[in-house]
Amino acid sequence: MDIAIQQAVNALALGGTYAMLALGLAVVFSVMRMINFAHGELMTASGYAYAFAIAAGFPFALALVAGIAAAVALVLLLERVAFRPLRGASPTSLLITSFAVAVVLQTLFQSLISPRPQPAPMPDFLGRAIGIGDFLIGSIQFTSIIVTLMMLAGLAILFRFTMIGISIRAASMDFPMTRLMGVRANRVIAMAFAISGLLAGVSGLLWVAQRGSVDPMMGFLPVLKAFICAVLGGLGSLPGAVLGGFVLGIIETALQAGLPIEWAVFKDPIALFIVIAILAVRPRGLLPTRVASRA
Amino acid sequence: MRHIIAMAAGLLLVQTAAAEDLKIGAAVSMTGGLAYADVPAIEGLQVAIDEINAAGGIDGKYMVEIDIRDGRSDPAQTTLVAQELIASGIDILITPADADPSIGAGLIAAQAKVPAFTTVASSPTLPLSAGEYMFGNFPGDNLQSAVSAQYARDTGYDTAFILYSEDSSYTQLPLYFKEVFEGLGGKVSGEAVYNLGQQDFSAIVTTIGSLDPAPDVIMTAAYEPDFPAFIRQLRASGVNIPVIGSDGIDSPTTFSLGDVAEGVVFSTAGFAEEGNPLSTFYKAYEKKFNRPSETIYTALGYDIMQVIAAAIMKAGSTDGAALRDAISGLENVQGAAGSITYAGREDRMPLRDVTLVRVKGGDREFVRQETPPGDLVPKPKY
Repeated sequence: MDIAIQQAVNALALGGTYAMLALGLAVVFSVMRMINFAHGELMTASGYAYAFAIAAGFPFALALVAGIAAAVALVLLLERVAFRPLRGASPTSLLITSFAVAVVLQTLFQSLISPRPQPAPMPDFLGRAIGIGDFLIGSIQFTSIIVTLMMLAGLAILFRFTMIGISIRAASMDFPMTRLMGVRANRVIAMAFAISGLLAGVSGLLWVAQRGSVDPMMGFLPVLKAFICAVLGGLGSLPGAVLGGFVLGIIETALQAGLPIEWAVFKDPIALFIVIAILAVRPRGLLPTRVASRA
Repeated sequence: MRHIIAMAAGLLLVQTAAAEDLKIGAAVSMTGGLAYADVPAIEGLQVAIDEINAAGGIDGKYMVEIDIRDGRSDPAQTTLVAQELIASGIDILITPADADPSIGAGLIAAQAKVPAFTTVASSPTLPLSAGEYMFGNFPGDNLQSAVSAQYARDTGYDTAFILYSEDSSYTQLPLYFKEVFEGLGGKVSGEAVYNLGQQDFSAIVTTIGSLDPAPDVIMTAAYEPDFPAFIRQLRASGVNIPVIGSDGIDSPTTFSLGDVAEGVVFSTAGFAEEGNPLSTFYKAYEKKFNRPSETIYTALGYDIMQVIAAAIMKAGSTDGAALRDAISGLENVQGAAGSITYAGREDRMPLRDVTLVRVKGGDREFVRQETPPGDLVPKPKY
């Protein structure tokens, strides 16, 4: 029983990280109709900024801020330089552009920083266990669950009660109509990118806290998982992305814990097979957007 | 004046044509997933080339030049640039730190009778799969596990848990460990499989923590970023079982992990001590690149050049077939990381020292260094 609870906590922590990543992709997709494959490189950038700030002797809290700020600044720069000129272009062009941006950033990290992983030391308390009742929870997991819940709650408030949040939701349903209502497209899109940068920065730091180092290629895998979660939840749907993240987290943890060793190599294919099975029944995802995509 | 320049230029031309050159072609990964290993290895190789050329070349006549082309960690691209390099007339080919891109390049090299070395791949099956001219350089996975399993038994560990990944040949090293460990009377009481790049080890950690009785030691060949993620999550869940790793974690990250990595023992290719060849090499490296070496891979790159130089001295020429036979007969070549022997090694993997290092207070502590007896080293697994 204890093990079951422990594994449930594991699933929640992993799912939460996926949820934040998927939400970052979904918020940009909802206004731009673009899956930003450079999202992972934003995580890498936040990791590098954190690692350099620590190496330069900044206190832990300030280094965290530097990490998040780097991701937000980079995504705003990318929006201005790479994505704005392509606004309204076909989804294929946008997709390929974001891939290109991801590769350019990876190569820049490799040649300007180092192809070797850079250590990103975290305070020792993140390597300890916290006792709740008579069972232990890893402090990284605990932190990631708390941070995820705070981020999701904060974004829920933003999307529900603030002008800019409502504009983003409106734009995700019908962009031309939203503009006719007097909402400035540049502002909405830049804000959506900034939110995705914030999510990438926070999840990048949680990712780095788990792995202890930053390397140029580290963004690829998480963005792939996030993409799967976003599709699973219903592409473009914000609550769907969050749900998709938790569902994938639960599937992966259950397979890792439950599969016999001879089957363990097939963990990822089985997880993807389950995702495909879900999509076969619900082709538009678990929580599809209400308005059909015009793309 | 013009005449003098023309004459000088002419003389220079004659000079270069007259001196015998050794051309090394490196079809390695300067970018992509293998760059973390190939870039430092090639840097180390360049330190060796500078030294040799400053001393007037190998045997006083062969000046060394190197042509580096990026295979981008991609097997197809690596094979392509290897082909270009061989067409340009190189004498030695250097291939990447992993089996997949090395095999294609190695097969082409074998056809052209050009000896080839992988930078730091440690899979003992690689040279046999990549043509008659392919040689390993790093202490093989089976060699490393012979030393670490012997150490585990000597320390009194009777049961072990192994964590491995079938995604690459290297991460299956714990299976060699299992063979030696059980051969020495120990027992592997549990196993788990992970995927490369897997961030989340919580489910595996929960499984290990619930084992009753708990294993005496955990052995894994996971490396960055998997290893730091695993060890953090392991320690954070309150499991304090000792951990043995392998050379993939010989990197600054491991020493920056703080409390969680304390006491981890891993196998690697050498240990730097004031005045020993490795520390002398590290000084030369720092002088050339103005930064300290981050990994022992630099020293292993340097060692490839020592092997090549010894083989040329022995063969007395740069003829491919003669060189290959010379390399196969080399014994006790002194490299930066230790001495290197190819003689009698049918798998063309070097017999060389394996060092065990313990992480202590964010630094390395010497545990033991030895070349394992040949009968303790498991046969390569396909």
